[in-house]
Amino acid sequence: MYANQFEGSAAFSGGGFMPSQATQTADPFFSTSKNRDSQPLLPLTVKQISEAFQSSDDKSNFLIDGVDVNNVKLVGMVFNKTERVTDVFFVLDDGTGRIDCNRWVNEAVDTKEVEGISDGMYVRVHGHLKGFQGKRHLVAFSIRPLTDYNEIPYHFVECMYVHSYNTKLQKQQGGASTVNMTSSAVSTPSKGYQAAPPNQYVGNYGIDGLKGIDQVVMDYLQQPACLTREKGVHVTEISQQLNMPVDKITISIKALEEEGLVYSTIDEYHFKSTGNG
Amino acid sequence: MDTSSPAVFLNAKLLPMHVRRRVRAVIQVVRPSGGGVVGKSIDEKQLVVKGSPPLPLISHVEVIGIADSNQSIHVEIWTNFGDTFDMYNYNKLCLFANGEYKHLFI
Repeated sequence: MYANQFEGSAAFSGGGFMPSQATQTADPFFSTSKNRDSQPLLPLTVKQISEAFQSSDDKSNFLIDGVDVNNVKLVGMVFNKTERVTDVFFVLDDGTGRIDCNRWVNEAVDTKEVEGISDGMYVRVHGHLKGFQGKRHLVAFSIRPLTDYNEIPYHFVECMYVHSYNTKLQKQQGGASTVNMTSSAVSTPSKGYQAAPPNQYVGNYGIDGLKGIDQVVMDYLQQPACLTREKGVHVTEISQQLNMPVDKITISIKALEEEGLVYSTIDEYHFKSTGNG
Repeated sequence: MDTSSPAVFLNAKLLPMHVRRRVRAVIQVVRPSGGGVVGKSIDEKQLVVKGSPPLPLISHVEVIGIADSNQSIHVEIWTNFGDTFDMYNYNKLCLFANGEYKHLFI
């Protein structure tokens, strides 16, 4: 098996397209952000997408509320559905604006999915946001007709909630974006802040009166990656990640626990933030 | 992408602020009237919606069109929202979409 892999790479090593390079990104910070955990499905309105800041020439690199946007979910009405040879094109109108969408049709299941939608129908679309020469469009990977129209207010309420959550987080981080659903290392002049790479926890700013190590530990536990872990984070892990001694982390955790900001989970070594994930 | 003509979520109270603009509202059908439907808005006020409704009309109908007066909408698109639509939630959404979170919508 190893021999085959070796031969495969050797075959490509002569030049042209090399698979080993295809998975590498130019920016080392982005290589860590491209995993599935850091690409949440963000509920958005078309208006938000239209105002998204395109942080570089990269065709899929948008920032909304300080968060890298890759995959999005929209709810709206289908217009101008056009079936083409390999894909289906349509315009989605969510009441805040219209965005062009396309859905590649490769298999029978894709064909069935797009056959089920028609102009004037309300759908929920999950897709990947792309931009090219200033034009934004959505490459849909799921289109589902709404059967319960309560999904419409639900979607927009979710958009407001996520917007609130992310903007609040931005304010809390006081100009330094850590790893809020992303590890963006790009500058965003429109918002006037320079994002920091992952694992760079700046403890010189305080939220709610927290200082020093307490703040740094809190920031670590507040990352979406930590918030979503059911068992919480082990003290040793925090210690290793923050490069601080375990006893100092333990003291800090105790203080945060007394403040009601963290709680122990499966045992006395695993902790989670009480903040909403 | 085009955000030049959004359809604003609204209830009857918010309608006067959007006359001659594209709007969207959900009404509870009360009775058909000549050239449209008389309905109850989500904030319990009477709204007249003009146009040709799809038949049969179900309890809750979403209308998208142009607000042509303080109490009426000229409808372009009708969608039956069924009998189980939650008007209370939708009314709250309208208030947010015209208030604190307006910038996400229009």
